[in-house]
Amino acid sequence: MTMLRFEWLLLIRSRLTLAALIVLSVLSIFAVARGLHEVARQNAVIAHLETLQKNDMSDLAKAYGPEGDAGYAAYYSFHHTYDPPSRLAFAALGQRDVLPYNLRVRALGLQAQLYEGDIFNPELALPGRFDLSFVLVYLTPLFLVVLLHDLVSGEAESGRLTLLRAAPKAGIALWLRRAGLRSALVFAAVAVPFVAGAVIAQAPVAGVMGGVALIALYVMFWTALCLLTAAFGFGSRINALVLLSQWVILVLVAPTLAHIAISRSVPVPQGVDIVLKHRQLVHGAWEVPKDLTMQRFFHSHPEWKATAPLGKTFEWKWYFAFHHLGDESVAADVATYRGRILQRQALAEGVGYLLPSVGVQAAMERLGDTDIRGYLSYQDQIKTFHTALRRFYYPYIFNRTPFPEANYALAPRFEARPYSGGIRGLYMLTWAALSAGLGGAGVWLLRKRIA
Amino acid sequence: MSRVLTIALSEGRALLRNRTAVISAALFLLLSLMAILNAWDQFRYAQGLRQTYQSEANQTFDAQPDRHPHRMVHYGHFVFRPLNPMAAFDPGVDAFTGQMLYLEGHRQNSANFSDTRQNTSLVRFGQLTPAFCLQVLAPLLLIFLGFGVIARERENGTLVLCLTQGVTGPQMFWGKTLCLAVVAGLILLPALVSLAWLATQAMLGWGLTLAILTGYVLYLLIWTIGIVLVSRYARRGREALLGLIALWAFFCVFVPRIAPDLIAHARPLLTQMETDIRIHKELKAMGDSHNPDDPYFNAFRQKVLKSYGVSRVEDLPVNYKGLLALEGERMTSALFKAYADRNFGQQHAQTRLMDGVGLLAPVLAVQRVSMSGAGTDLSAYQAFLEQGEAYRFGLVQHLNQLQATALTYADDTNKARENRISHDHWTDYPDFVFRPPAMAERLERLSPALGVLALWCGVLLGLGQWSALRLERLMK
Repeated sequence: MTMLRFEWLLLIRSRLTLAALIVLSVLSIFAVARGLHEVARQNAVIAHLETLQKNDMSDLAKAYGPEGDAGYAAYYSFHHTYDPPSRLAFAALGQRDVLPYNLRVRALGLQAQLYEGDIFNPELALPGRFDLSFVLVYLTPLFLVVLLHDLVSGEAESGRLTLLRAAPKAGIALWLRRAGLRSALVFAAVAVPFVAGAVIAQAPVAGVMGGVALIALYVMFWTALCLLTAAFGFGSRINALVLLSQWVILVLVAPTLAHIAISRSVPVPQGVDIVLKHRQLVHGAWEVPKDLTMQRFFHSHPEWKATAPLGKTFEWKWYFAFHHLGDESVAADVATYRGRILQRQALAEGVGYLLPSVGVQAAMERLGDTDIRGYLSYQDQIKTFHTALRRFYYPYIFNRTPFPEANYALAPRFEARPYSGGIRGLYMLTWAALSAGLGGAGVWLLRKRIA
Repeated sequence: MSRVLTIALSEGRALLRNRTAVISAALFLLLSLMAILNAWDQFRYAQGLRQTYQSEANQTFDAQPDRHPHRMVHYGHFVFRPLNPMAAFDPGVDAFTGQMLYLEGHRQNSANFSDTRQNTSLVRFGQLTPAFCLQVLAPLLLIFLGFGVIARERENGTLVLCLTQGVTGPQMFWGKTLCLAVVAGLILLPALVSLAWLATQAMLGWGLTLAILTGYVLYLLIWTIGIVLVSRYARRGREALLGLIALWAFFCVFVPRIAPDLIAHARPLLTQMETDIRIHKELKAMGDSHNPDDPYFNAFRQKVLKSYGVSRVEDLPVNYKGLLALEGERMTSALFKAYADRNFGQQHAQTRLMDGVGLLAPVLAVQRVSMSGAGTDLSAYQAFLEQGEAYRFGLVQHLNQLQATALTYADDTNKARENRISHDHWTDYPDFVFRPPAMAERLERLSPALGVLALWCGVLLGLGQWSALRLERLMK
């Protein structure tokens, strides 16, 4: 224990080390504050839109209520769907800046509505967000490199190494203690602000522990790399160079190469195809004999078979039937589209086993439920809600039941999807093994060199 | 002058002897080559896809059967944002912007199906393009190669030796700078060749090509002089390396991320949903064409009746429903435009703030030059949206006009009748052609950033000369 205290004294006397730790803490605190603020802003936007939508709906009820036609009600009523950020989203804002988290839908064909985007400035989205996952994935390794690149070589270059070796308590323990203390402080610089942020955000304990474990594992991985590099016995300059090259490859180059490889190997059938086909079907319906359309619709909705046959003029039930048929006929394409996106995501996560930089980013976003999986589950929730909407309006439309003003309040309300994120245990095990392997090899080599 | 050359040559020989330097330079060249090939391939794929979609959309639109023109208004049209070959050099915002716009009556849809929406988060790690190599990786390589140019001489004690033998401070400083600049030129070469080639493919015009080129030359020159400067002040090579890496991480990784985040926070944009709701509300306040007692549309009807000198809409020589559709679309589109203009204004204010931060971080300035020159920036995207909207308005009004003239009011109000007009009316309508922002406009957009880069370069040149003159004090 006294040895550790000596190390601590040595450490706080080094201005560079202290400065590095302070800078990293400030960056983490700032990132957490920004994340919390952004989450609060997104919640406020959702609440604001909810009020607007409610007012809009009551105006609509007043305007069309007296006539009491469910067709108009279903046609003109937009319903607000939203995807509030999870309690852990502050740490990894993920794709939430470019994927919409508010969407208005109505009981018409969903596939023509589902892909609308929100307004954002693409030039500001280009470099990515500044959140804790960025500080962790990109910046923390740089600080570790600064603090650990001259672990052994620094002593050798200042001529103290021989002296240290001759000391009675010499051995590998000294370096492990030194490296351990420094990386523990780096870990604390990131983890403490994260935990504080999680407490403010009232995040679930398991998730917070998962996040802390991720931070710890990533710091361990880079510490192990530093140890291994130090064990080869180059000078401090070469060590720094080698470690930085590893950083450039792991954080900048390899992920982009993986991105290229994945988007090449899994071509996603363009979502455009779905929309083009959908439009063709929906608008083509005006040219199709009405009875044929109704027969097709009754195939999946036999409960409306017995309702009154169509007359010669326009009827809402026919209109809503062909809109739904449009959705039905692209269902297979939609499933493929969704499946391929998930396949890409699974491959990217697979890359994360080998590249902890990619993996930690993916795992943080999974923890925050802010990645493309979260977005797809929001889309699923919209789809469920859309079905509920149709089912709500159908009885009025098919039975020609009046739809007075009071009925507008009966329409189903959207419920935000449950948290679908989670902790990637298998990832963590793999990285723990990877770090242990690298670190172990480093220690073994070091021991051989020093002894 | 010859002494400067001698120093540059000897430094060059030292670099060549340094195996790590040669290997890292070779790796970098390999990487930029890969980036070029990949970016070109990617461009051809994306461009091919969009062209196919566009011609398919044009064909299906033209192939629509005889119909009521208002059905065609709802059927609508699709336009796709074409890519220019320069996107292979710098794709800019391409991955984040929608590539398809659905044009229909009464509504202004957002452009959708951006790459980000069908991709994994990996896309946020950046894309391997020639521009990325030059903006982010090249400075790093220059740091690895050049951090020791003067610091090492000082460490070895050769610096004072040279100076005492009559080499002046500026000769020393600029000799080293020259060597590093030549290396930078060599690194730049493959990207520059690809840039020039793509520029001819994109018919970019020499003005823009030259501007982009100048931007990158200035940018790498800033790093070159900066590296030699830091190396001159560092007591040891190690210090220089650490300091330079910190500078690089600050400028190339940290600032580009934090600046947009703060700007988006300082100037938030209106959401799409609120825009839609507000437009709808304002329209309702203006008038409802379906309401027979609506004051606005009553006044409109009176005006129309008066101008034709009749007393009933049934007596008009044109179809009154068509006139109503024309008026309604004119009103909605004016509102769409007002909101779009406001939104674009907000986004430009954000972008201007970002350019302001570019004063502090040259990487942002060079990104501006590169993106705006290549025509892959926000403005080019907005130009697409604006032209798409103009095309939509023209098409919808063309169809409304047809409803007013080709159909009679009596037929059109008869619900039991099927009113159709010949499909020739849409077959003959001209296709959408996107015109990218003009060269002058793009040059205007990028020139402030070019000025920022030149300013940085000038300041660093001055600082370099000043510190070079003070080098000789080391002897005393």
